[in-house]
Amino acid sequence: MDIEIIEMAERRGKFILKNSSPAMANALRRTMLSDIPKMAIDKVEFHLGPIMVDDKEYESVTPLFDEIIAHRLGMVPVPTDYELFTYQDKCVCGGEGCPSCTIMYSLNKIGPCTVYSGDMIPLGNAELKVKDEFIPIVELTDGQAVLIYATAVMGTVKKHVKWQAAFGVGYKYLPIITIDANKANDSDVLRVIKLCPRHVFEEKGGKIVVKNSTDCSLCMSCVAPSNGAITINSDDKNFFFTFETDGSLTAKQLLDKATEILSSEASELLSQVEAL
Amino acid sequence: MIIPVRCFTCGKVVGSAYPEYVKRVGMGEDPKKVLDDLGFERYCCRRMIVSHADLIGEIAPLG
Repeated sequence: MDIEIIEMAERRGKFILKNSSPAMANALRRTMLSDIPKMAIDKVEFHLGPIMVDDKEYESVTPLFDEIIAHRLGMVPVPTDYELFTYQDKCVCGGEGCPSCTIMYSLNKIGPCTVYSGDMIPLGNAELKVKDEFIPIVELTDGQAVLIYATAVMGTVKKHVKWQAAFGVGYKYLPIITIDANKANDSDVLRVIKLCPRHVFEEKGGKIVVKNSTDCSLCMSCVAPSNGAITINSDDKNFFFTFETDGSLTAKQLLDKATEILSSEASELLSQVEAL
Repeated sequence: MIIPVRCFTCGKVVGSAYPEYVKRVGMGEDPKKVLDDLGFERYCCRRMIVSHADLIGEIAPLG
């Protein structure tokens, strides 16, 4: 099993999984979706009662219920560093909460304003500031204020979607497009260039050629109009993967972690089978 | 009410793009082009932004 990287940006990746099988491709997809641990805000404490700022009294009232604000804070992607953090129940502190398993954020704003995710200030390490700074959390009018302490912990999506690091993870069989060389300059076949919804073909020297075969969605809409000159097959040993991350991990970190988890789970299964 | 933080279907963060989308469309840009620019490829995320009715400003004074 090999991986050929096509594109690896900070938050999105494309790669070809080579010499593999449909079962392995799906195992990798499911691992990326559901087994990657990340940090997300899990506990939110609201200050209730009047908030005094510069001798003016503000009410701790917002247009949204506290539960909804807590949920919105939970969905905000929090930077995750596997070197710094571990699961709370496996931490040296025994689950009490310490700087190596939790991140504390404070959010203190007075109205009128829009509260953004970037207003959350990490207590301690300033590098843990949220990267997506302009996610609206709530709007406040004059006389309203929020004073919130939020705690982020490590988790996986099996408990809640806020711990989902990857999304839009998908793969397809790698398309194999063959063009009959004797018919490549027929006018009927050249018409297919415009018919293809993914613009896979182009004209070169009066003949139809494949421009980018990985764009093909195997829709087969080129096969019938070309009267057999074009055939599309799918390769069930090579897979074209695309995925995105929410910004808590980079695309490369996520793929590395997914392969690491998959191989450790496979070796664990092997050791259990051998013990039988 | 207020723009959801993430796409209901796939989980992509859409909240941070909404203020920019509103600003750019208000200045006369084509909504299709703005959504493409902001990196929304799937129609699940695009509908989150296009179909949103931002009413929090009307609710806020009643809090």
